[in-house]
Amino acid sequence: MFYEILTVSTYPLVAHKGTPEAIKGARTYLGILIGTSIGLQLLAIIWTYTLTGTLDFTQGGILEGYIAGPMVAVLLALYAFGIGKAALMPFHRWLPAAMVAPTPVSALLHAVAVVKAGVFTMLKVGIYIFGIDFLAETGASEWLMWLAAYTIIAASIIAITKDNLKARLAYSTISQLSYITLGMALATSMGALGGGLHIAMHAMGKITLFMAAGSIYVATHKTNISQMNGLGRIMPFTYGAFFIGALSIIGLPPLGGSWSKWLLVLGAADTGQWIMIGVLMLSSLLNVYYLLSIVGRGFFLPAADQPADAKIAESPTLVWLPPALTAAGCVVLFFYAGELQEFLSPIVSGYGGEADG
Amino acid sequence: MIDQIPTAFLFFAAALVLFALPNGKIRAAFLLLVPVLAAYQIWMLEAGVHSQVGFFGFTLDLMRVDKLSRVFALIFAIAAFLSNLYAWHVRDTVQQVAALLYAGSAIGAVFAGDLITLFFYWEGTAIASVFLIWARRTEGAYNTGMRYLVIQIGSGVVLLAGAALVYRETGTIAFEAMTLGSVGTWLIFLSFGVKAAFPLLHNWLQDSYPAATVTGTVILSAFTTKLAIYALARGFAGTEILIYIGAIMTLFPIFFAEIENDLRRVLAYSLNNQLGFMVVGIGIGTEMALNGTAAHAFAHILYKSLLFMSVGAVLYRTGTSKASELGGLYRTMPLTAILCLVGAASISAFPLFSGFVTKSLIIDQTAGAHYQIIWAILVFASAGVLSHSGIKIPFFTFFAHDSGMRPKEAPIHMLLAMGIIAFLCIGIGVYPDPLYALLPYEVEFHPYTAGHVITQLQLLAFALLAFGVLMRTGIHPPEIRAINLDVDWSYRRLFPALLSRISAVVLFVWQSVTRFGHRHKNNIIDRLYHSHGPEGRMAQVWPTGSMVLWIAILLGVTLIVNFMS
Amino acid sequence: MDKHPNDNPDTYPRLGRMMMWVDKPGSANKIFWALAIFCGLLFLADFAYEKHGHFDVEYIPGFYGIYGFVMFTALILLAKGLRVLIKRPEDYYGDKAVDREDYPEAELDKVNYDD
Repeated sequence: MFYEILTVSTYPLVAHKGTPEAIKGARTYLGILIGTSIGLQLLAIIWTYTLTGTLDFTQGGILEGYIAGPMVAVLLALYAFGIGKAALMPFHRWLPAAMVAPTPVSALLHAVAVVKAGVFTMLKVGIYIFGIDFLAETGASEWLMWLAAYTIIAASIIAITKDNLKARLAYSTISQLSYITLGMALATSMGALGGGLHIAMHAMGKITLFMAAGSIYVATHKTNISQMNGLGRIMPFTYGAFFIGALSIIGLPPLGGSWSKWLLVLGAADTGQWIMIGVLMLSSLLNVYYLLSIVGRGFFLPAADQPADAKIAESPTLVWLPPALTAAGCVVLFFYAGELQEFLSPIVSGYGGEADG
Repeated sequence: MIDQIPTAFLFFAAALVLFALPNGKIRAAFLLLVPVLAAYQIWMLEAGVHSQVGFFGFTLDLMRVDKLSRVFALIFAIAAFLSNLYAWHVRDTVQQVAALLYAGSAIGAVFAGDLITLFFYWEGTAIASVFLIWARRTEGAYNTGMRYLVIQIGSGVVLLAGAALVYRETGTIAFEAMTLGSVGTWLIFLSFGVKAAFPLLHNWLQDSYPAATVTGTVILSAFTTKLAIYALARGFAGTEILIYIGAIMTLFPIFFAEIENDLRRVLAYSLNNQLGFMVVGIGIGTEMALNGTAAHAFAHILYKSLLFMSVGAVLYRTGTSKASELGGLYRTMPLTAILCLVGAASISAFPLFSGFVTKSLIIDQTAGAHYQIIWAILVFASAGVLSHSGIKIPFFTFFAHDSGMRPKEAPIHMLLAMGIIAFLCIGIGVYPDPLYALLPYEVEFHPYTAGHVITQLQLLAFALLAFGVLMRTGIHPPEIRAINLDVDWSYRRLFPALLSRISAVVLFVWQSVTRFGHRHKNNIIDRLYHSHGPEGRMAQVWPTGSMVLWIAILLGVTLIVNFMS
Repeated sequence: MDKHPNDNPDTYPRLGRMMMWVDKPGSANKIFWALAIFCGLLFLADFAYEKHGHFDVEYIPGFYGIYGFVMFTALILLAKGLRVLIKRPEDYYGDKAVDREDYPEAELDKVNYDD
């Protein structure tokens, strides 16, 4: 029981250790982040405990019968904002600040490992503390759904305006993380399942993108998209990997991302939330715009500072190979999504047992 | 063995093999071989559902073969062969691979027996085809490609949403005839409508096709829109609203085509107009009308390719496809000129050419169903086709005033590709029975009755006479260097302008908020540091005590809240 | 492509030389009047067969011809009017649009017939 308290409350703290030192500007953001984590999340945990007398992650949730009305929404708010790592707006600023860090490794860590912990916790809280059915009955998560939808669109629009490649990817991450929150907030088994699947799919795609960005930096020391015209022709492997990763993030076949998007749309369809379906579609198009434009520029626009017949000058093999492998992973995930879904479906199987999508 | 593999996979495998081949004649020959194999396979396929795979909890039907899907797949394979022959000289790997993936996806989509497979290939055509535009490698083509891509993928995600809703409603993902009614079916309808270039959703077509490469435009013209026609015929045959949509589609592009300067864009408008006839056929939805749609799509892919090829050949030799810069080219490009005239006669539906035996099926069915106004529009639009595709394209390119250009005749492989198509156009026009036998339903129609031939000739000859009168009187509008506004104005000028206004407002609000936040954040941190920091009051005196105090406060708040709820 | 500097019609492809008849003075007139006569014959042909129309208007003699002539003229006039409304200079969408670009030379094979 206390172990659970420890897990939930210290998780944000532990995960932050070691990262802030390198990042000068991000320190205050991280400080604030920890503050909100403790202040809001701990409060939520204590509140939960006083209500139910337990903090075990239980199938079906533990809160049902103990709390009702608008207070559910308030409690959920404490959790949702407390888990700052889910980067839900307006508590997202730490993420891009941390990701534009000079070293590719830390950027990678932030992009994939750390933020995933955040949304994973979010998903767990939704499923095990509240229970999906309970959320659906009380409608407490509706506002969270709207906020997630807002974050998805707003972060995508900001991503379009970013010329720094890593900053653009960072805002893309914020947007994509909210897909997962949205999946939970839809409060259907399909949505939660889609959210869970999206953790894996997005991780694979975004690792690819960040490593490709790292590879571009290693080879050319360029960070701004507007300087990257024509780079695809001299770095075909890196750009090929980037292209595949981008398609997966957008949710296009034959890549893994298409399945999680399909489940999320199904989840939204189950609740009759047409607007959420619209948000997912619009977001896909924004993704197309801000990700594939990089590919188009890279392969097809003439470069300002290189001859038209420039030879292939890839980054070292060890730099371009990892994104190529994770890109291949995106393809593999498409074909093995069924297995992954079966692996995940027990977490939602208690809910009406209609995990048939 | 070959009949075990889904046809689309042939193309995808070929795209991989391509990289192993030396870039030259061997590759070009290989690019010709693949569609031939595919056509052979399609021809030999037995009707029924092949290649079912269980996937993600669904059973996907990769190969649903019936007469409707077969005729479309067959013409797609033929179109792939002809456009690859036309592109024999191209040594750009990107375009070669894109052409294979694009044709493969289009054929795959035609054979898709369920909505998820359809969605996969639907997006496949979108992604593969944009490379044919980007391959021009200019900034303008890049920008156009981005617009094209967003719209095409947009069509795909709308399809996905529609498929999800239909699945939730009916419990099946089968791609069968649907009736408009639920949100799901409307979304699917909308998705098909984007690719079929419905009015107001059409402008991606005229925006993108003139921007592609010489050979890319030929390839583009064959697949995407006809795939949408197939999908509409499969899913929404007999949906009455399609009759009106189709009629508008035949009508509005003829005005735009008349005053457009870029001949490849004229052809894109003309393509839009031809799609309208097919859409009307689907809307009427009788067996004969659907036959007419399938037949017209078949013939249309051929003659439209021929026209795009002839204009492409001129572009290839002169560097421009603008009517204002061209003229009098028949002197040194006589073969291209004659082949272009064959295409023009076919699209204008002169008797003995392919358009006549296919379009009359649709118009006849429209009249038979007593849609008098629609019928009048279609006949008017037929005269309109003559004006821009039948007259404007060949006349202002190869005849009219002499531009002084003396380009060499098109290369032999281009002439060969155009020659084969011209042969097919006349062949179908003279002897339509083999084409009629391919159609989804039994055909009982005789295009060559005295009434049909004479009325059609009257329509065309008097329209030509009107052209002659207008030219002699100088009323006919001259070709001038300019562009014309269309729906794309909304997303190329209006929305960006609106967005920049809105974003300026949002940015201002955002900055005010964050500035406020920053000021106060520092305050809070200072204060916290002051009380909790190493030298702060709390740290010095009794840190444990303050912790307890804080927890007590928190608990108190919790209890109060709890009590209230 | 610019105008050909030393243009010699005698060296054109034979088919091209044959087709040059259309540009001879008076040829355009001949074509026009031939077409007019053809139209007249078609009008007369309307009386030579039994009509099976779906609509009443189809039984008017020469209906298709009249309709074709009138509507074609209307189309041209309306298109002229439309042009007044929607015509814009080629750089309306800026210089980064295909209408403003020359087609990249690398993709082309611009040669004269006698090169």
